[in-house]
Amino acid sequence: MRLRDLTRTSTFRLSLLYGLIFAFGLVSLLGLVYARSAIYLTHRVDGILATETDALARAPPGELERRIDEAASLGGDRTSIFGLFTADRRRIAGNLAAEPPGLTPGGPAVETPPSRAFPAPARLIARRLPQGEVLVVGRDVSQLQEMRSIIAGALIWSGAAVISIGLACGIALSLPPLRRLRRLQAACEDIAAGDLTRRLPTRTPGDELDTFAATVNYMLDEVERLMGEVKGAAETIAHDLRTPLTRARAQLHRLSQTPGAAPGELVRVTAELDDVLERFRVLMRISELEAHGRLSGFTQADLSGLVADAADLYQPLAEAGGVSLAWSAPAGVTAPADPKLLFEAVSNLLDNAIKFAGPGGRVDLALEDGPVQIVVTDTGPGIPATERAAVLQRFYRIERDRVKPGSGLGLSIVAAILRLHRFELRLEDAAPGLRAVIDCAPPTGART
Amino acid sequence: MGGGGWAFRSIGEAQTVGLARILIIEDDPETATEIADCLSAGGFSPEVSADGDEGLARALGEPFDAITLDRMLPGRDGLEVLRALRQAGSEAPVLMVSALGDVDDRVTGLRAGGDDYVVKPFAPAELLARLEVILRRRGPREDLKIAVSDLELDLVRREARRGGRRIELLPTEFKLLEYMMRNAGQTLSRRMIFEEVWEYYFDPGTNLIDVHVGRLRRKIDAGDGPPLFHTERGIGYRIDAP
Repeated sequence: MRLRDLTRTSTFRLSLLYGLIFAFGLVSLLGLVYARSAIYLTHRVDGILATETDALARAPPGELERRIDEAASLGGDRTSIFGLFTADRRRIAGNLAAEPPGLTPGGPAVETPPSRAFPAPARLIARRLPQGEVLVVGRDVSQLQEMRSIIAGALIWSGAAVISIGLACGIALSLPPLRRLRRLQAACEDIAAGDLTRRLPTRTPGDELDTFAATVNYMLDEVERLMGEVKGAAETIAHDLRTPLTRARAQLHRLSQTPGAAPGELVRVTAELDDVLERFRVLMRISELEAHGRLSGFTQADLSGLVADAADLYQPLAEAGGVSLAWSAPAGVTAPADPKLLFEAVSNLLDNAIKFAGPGGRVDLALEDGPVQIVVTDTGPGIPATERAAVLQRFYRIERDRVKPGSGLGLSIVAAILRLHRFELRLEDAAPGLRAVIDCAPPTGART
Repeated sequence: MGGGGWAFRSIGEAQTVGLARILIIEDDPETATEIADCLSAGGFSPEVSADGDEGLARALGEPFDAITLDRMLPGRDGLEVLRALRQAGSEAPVLMVSALGDVDDRVTGLRAGGDDYVVKPFAPAELLARLEVILRRRGPREDLKIAVSDLELDLVRREARRGGRRIELLPTEFKLLEYMMRNAGQTLSRRMIFEEVWEYYFDPGTNLIDVHVGRLRRKIDAGDGPPLFHTERGIGYRIDAP
């Protein structure tokens, strides 16, 4: 099963869509949590900084330096930052080496990366005191940043996990329906190939697909019944008429042997009967082939030998009819086929070709390798382009060829045999004459 | 079973030796009558059994020279009857008669122990010809040479001679001659020849077999000797001593 097939299934697409929606929801949720918590924590830090700044700013001027140093030394863990700078940015007191750039006195809190002034990321606030000095109060925010990156990491990883789990679930969920679909498809192909006894697989208790399959099966029952009735009627007619006709033919034959009979008349009537019998033979053979369904004798058939045998079988007939039969076949050409049936098809083509070529005519039987084709060409009158499709149907014969008994009928047997093989039969103009091509490797996908 | 019937060679002879008894196991009364009439006309003594169980009992209990067996029977299927018959040790030649003409059906029929297989509808002559061949075809085929009159076929050296004259034969012609000579005196239908020599089971339709036999015939009956090939009009061919 290819991935491409998988991605085309609706289950897979639905699973993928659900996965994406869920991932989106989850990412939004985490994003919100991240944003809210980050804002809350930052606010708290800012609040503390403002409070501390206010407290220090209210201190009497002489006290300020001492208080700052005291506060800075109390924060021995160096999480608190205090700094007092002159208006021209020289340090007066505190644990901040220099006034960090980008800090506006009276402005909003600013976050700075680790720098010479303070070796950790910090959030700082600055205020200008009445005497013109600048008071800087800050906090080490590396914990806050760690927390932010933990939340961001959780967000990314959980998003990725949700998407990949969704994808995996999509594949896992799509496989069984795809396999079922394959089974349904295989059954349908068998039915299309002529096996009307085949049914779609169903399970009990079934889902909507089983209900549908059951409906199709019911439809197939009906189709099979009707086909059976039609076929049965045709076969009964052929069978019932064939027996008395065979008897009548035998009686005519005996009659023609008796002295005093009019041989010319009898021969004509016998020929007519032969024609009718030939039609029945074709009809019944096609019924048989259609009932055949699957090819049990299917094997990698040796076409080279088959073509040689067919030429060997028909050589004397061609000679007797004044037709020169030539054949060619490269050795070792094979195709998946039922050799007995394919031989019958080639025989019918040769039989027709010899009949149509007529005395002085020529018939060529050729096996071609790559693409594998069996080609029978004759120098007969050919078949008009407009009638080529029709001659492959049961019983159709071109009007002007009615003089030749049984000619052309074999083509419908050939068509039936090749349908079983899924080979293609093409009738082409050989100018003059007919070229019948059995294409043993028709383009795949034509029927699948 | 009963060996008496195998000795006769043709329809005419059969009547002098005593009628060969043939059991017809066939459920369709019309077909049964048809086969029985045809066999009576051919000089056999037919008896009809309309269902599988009864037919099997009779086939095992009475000495029949051959049996024609319908492939599809009510109660016990034709194939089952045949298998039971062979399991019980009966070696009576069995001609399967069936509406199923597929190669598969034929192969299963022959594998189950049938001697030949004829597809309905059939010409009476076809049935008779096949029955006569299976009535004779009982011995092992281990000959090194077959001879009919002055025509000799050497199966080891793969060559044919007529009155000392060597006849060049193509492989198919050799097979055809061998089949006809093995069944010398028997009329072989075109379809029987096609099935046996070419091993295909469709109806070749045209006079395909006629031209093959004709070509062989011209080679064999070319000399001054009396003709060995005989045409049975409307049925087929026969090789026979003059």
